[in-house]
Amino acid sequence: MLFNDLLQNIIGGVTVGSTYGLIGLGVVFLWQSINRINFANISSAMLAAYLFYTFYTQLHFGFFLSFICSILIIAIYGMLLRYLVYEPITRHGGDKLEFVVATLMLCILWLSVINATFGGLPKPFPPVFGEATSFVQMGPISIPSVYFWIFLVVLLLILGLYFLLRKTFIGKMLRATAQNKEAAALMGVNVNLTTSIAFMMATTIVGIAGILLAPIYFVSLELGGGSIGVKGFASAVMGGLIDPFGAILGGITIGLIENFSTLFISSAYKDIISFMILVVVLLWKPRGIFNWTTKGD
Amino acid sequence: MRQIIKRIVYFLFFTFLLCMPLLSRNDYDLFVTNRALLNVILASGLVFLTGFAGQISLGQAGFSAIGAYTSALVTVKLGLPIPVGILAGVALSAFAGLLVAIPSFKLKAFFLSLMTIAFGQIVWLLLVNLTKLTGGSQGLFNIPLMKIGNNLFSNAMYYYVFLAFAVLSLVLINRIKYSHIGRKMFAVNDDEIAAEACGINSKNTKIMAFSISAALAGLSGSLYAHMLGFLTPEPFVFFESGNAVAMAVVGGLRHMSGGVIGGVLLTWLPELLRLNIRGFENYYLIVNASIVLLIIIFLPKGLGASLFNGLSRLWGENPRAMTLRNPKGKEKA
Repeated sequence: MLFNDLLQNIIGGVTVGSTYGLIGLGVVFLWQSINRINFANISSAMLAAYLFYTFYTQLHFGFFLSFICSILIIAIYGMLLRYLVYEPITRHGGDKLEFVVATLMLCILWLSVINATFGGLPKPFPPVFGEATSFVQMGPISIPSVYFWIFLVVLLLILGLYFLLRKTFIGKMLRATAQNKEAAALMGVNVNLTTSIAFMMATTIVGIAGILLAPIYFVSLELGGGSIGVKGFASAVMGGLIDPFGAILGGITIGLIENFSTLFISSAYKDIISFMILVVVLLWKPRGIFNWTTKGD
Repeated sequence: MRQIIKRIVYFLFFTFLLCMPLLSRNDYDLFVTNRALLNVILASGLVFLTGFAGQISLGQAGFSAIGAYTSALVTVKLGLPIPVGILAGVALSAFAGLLVAIPSFKLKAFFLSLMTIAFGQIVWLLLVNLTKLTGGSQGLFNIPLMKIGNNLFSNAMYYYVFLAFAVLSLVLINRIKYSHIGRKMFAVNDDEIAAEACGINSKNTKIMAFSISAALAGLSGSLYAHMLGFLTPEPFVFFESGNAVAMAVVGGLRHMSGGVIGGVLLTWLPELLRLNIRGFENYYLIVNASIVLLIIIFLPKGLGASLFNGLSRLWGENPRAMTLRNPKGKEKA
């Protein structure tokens, strides 16, 4: 019995944690391409969840169509983010801090936009991943089918990303730009294009994470700010802000720690414990625990 | 002639500051102005920390909360007078600033801001969860208000007290800026290694910068506690820290007036939008955030510097010569 409890907690932690990892991926992609941190990173998750909700329950598109539509809109939003926020700030002589504050304001802006159009109450997420009460039986353990599907989608996404980054030419270009912008440009890589791709990938992946997290957190303002965003940053930091797969592993670690502190200590303190872990990681290994890209330290 | 205009403008400005309670239409206006003054203290601390010493803090609301709750608990639970409470609040938040400064020896820019976010979130979560001490999200009540004899302060009296504190903090920052501490801070901000090579202890300067800015945040928090009489964790959420940094950036990090302009503008702007435009209750936050976003995008250097450049053009001084280290506008030798 105890063993089963443990196993179920592990599965829950890994599932939720891997979505935190996806949010961390958004941070990693932007950090690699423009060396800035987007504090409105988590807004894409909220926007995607609300878009999906609108398409699915109000316009009655099918699951796949609404998924693709919301993801497309989020990708376009990533482009707009570049040309309407990042580029003007740089052109007017703003630096990192100005970008941080601008994106923080953007985050507040999206929160208030959603609050004004949808209201502050959380919306129930349509049961596209099975009813909340249905379980997938695997031998002695039963996994909530929501968790099962989320984990499957995340796994597919990670495999796809691995393929994209390691096996395709675009991935090669992205990695080259991340390593050294000037050298990549000299080798004929279109840095302008890769920057745009990085922006779009960042918002898209975070958007998918938002749709996946919505069955757990509901379609609510909670998806667009506060602690989920910080957990995304924390998982990115665990990967040293450089390593995409390190960020996923970092997210899984945070999810596991969170679940076990709920189990053994108290659910009220689970967020405090994950922030403590972030502080410890920052102090102990600022370059990240799961970082195999940069050597040293 | 222009010098006379300059004097008249400054004279009018200071008379306006002193007569503000007589001019305001109602008590609520005065209450918002009081909050603006507290935000001026908070934002000036950030201008000091970020613009002068080059460090980042996105956990300023955490320091504010420490100041507010310490002062409240000292006066409520121990029954000590308000000034002692405020002093305790300032001291404890300065100490928290000292602790937060330690990671800044090693961490730069983004990592430091994450660190301070984590600090602010931990403080906030402790406020919510330590229900026995802080009252949790129910709040802490019966905090003594300021009074003379047996008369409680009116909003106008609070205004003068807060104005005095705000002016005092600005004078303090200005004095520090031109002292050896301030010059060391500029040196560390410019180039840490070069500063170290000149014999400046960069760790000490960073600790000083963080403690002073945290103390100012704690001061604004504890004054806030004794103005309202009750405390909830709500005004100390993460977005308030973000708002504080936005005030500093909108006002301008490179100018002493940045905190003043940002604090007043960002406190009044949402209130003006909310109160003066009918049927706007749902949308004022959107407009507010957009305006701030546009200011940051198109004027990343802040309003303070632009305003003073314009003013000095009006007085016929050379605006280009007016830089951070040369605020009197004299040409550098």
